[in-house]
Amino acid sequence: MTPPNNPFIQADGKKPTCMEMLQVIIDGEATNEQQEYFKNHMDRCLPCFKSYDLDMAIKRLLKTKCCGSDAPTDLVEQIKMQISQNTPS
Amino acid sequence: MEETITRNNYSEKEKNDIFNGEFLPHINSMYNFGFRLTLDRDDAKDLVQDTYLKAYRFIESFQKGTNAKAWLFRILKNSFINDYRKKTKEPSKVDYQEVETYYNSEDVNRQITPDLRVESLKDMIGDEISNALNSLDVDFRTVIILCDLEGFKYEEMAKILDIPIGTVRSRLHRARNLLKEKLSEYAKSMGYKNTEL
Ligand SMILES: [Zn+2]
Repeated sequence: MTPPNNPFIQADGKKPTCMEMLQVIIDGEATNEQQEYFKNHMDRCLPCFKSYDLDMAIKRLLKTKCCGSDAPTDLVEQIKMQISQNTPS
Repeated sequence: MEETITRNNYSEKEKNDIFNGEFLPHINSMYNFGFRLTLDRDDAKDLVQDTYLKAYRFIESFQKGTNAKAWLFRILKNSFINDYRKKTKEPSKVDYQEVETYYNSEDVNRQITPDLRVESLKDMIGDEISNALNSLDVDFRTVIILCDLEGFKYEEMAKILDIPIGTVRSRLHRARNLLKEKLSEYAKSMGYKNTEL
């Protein structure tokens, strides 16, 4: 049972590759229709099935491990001071 | 900033409200972005400070209540290119001719890093992923920061980077493949075998 239309097909009619579809899914840019289509596709496509888990894991890892550097505590004060010096009131 | 030609005549109070209420809440994300670009905490601090001063100076070209984070990130990115990149003389290694080619190539479904597995990621305590990210060329690093760390949409990224959405996608695709190569090197050096999932 193939769905009548691949909702990933762009206006130019070109058939999307697995990688292109996967990227749209991973990045949360897919429409509901596209998500539904991809879920079906993933059941039949082993490369997508494997890549999906890996790509999501990397994305999560990046988010949790690379976002930790909070700004120095005095930075906001310094910025505010600079602004008040530069704007005569 | 073609869409921001309209100038808003804000009162001093409005300016301060926008600055404190819409700009400053993004300070940590901005600092993280600055740090990931410059890879230096002092440079990051200068870059962020510089960005906020510019943001205040040009506050009348910002439409209150719109996407302040994307607006600020764009200023920071431009400051980085104009002020910092020149200093470090780091040439861009992104081959702009090549960016669209993956859409047409035959081997797009080829698995570039078949040896990288989800398990091997679990033992990466943070340094590995951070080092892998930092080792990427700055243009590739940037798209991953914007997309995966900060959660910007393709359309926002296109505006921040002044590139078409198609280029955002293809650059992101290449950036991730490079990152996976790095991660699989780490995984290999940590002694992971090609075990079955
Ligand atoms: Zn597939």
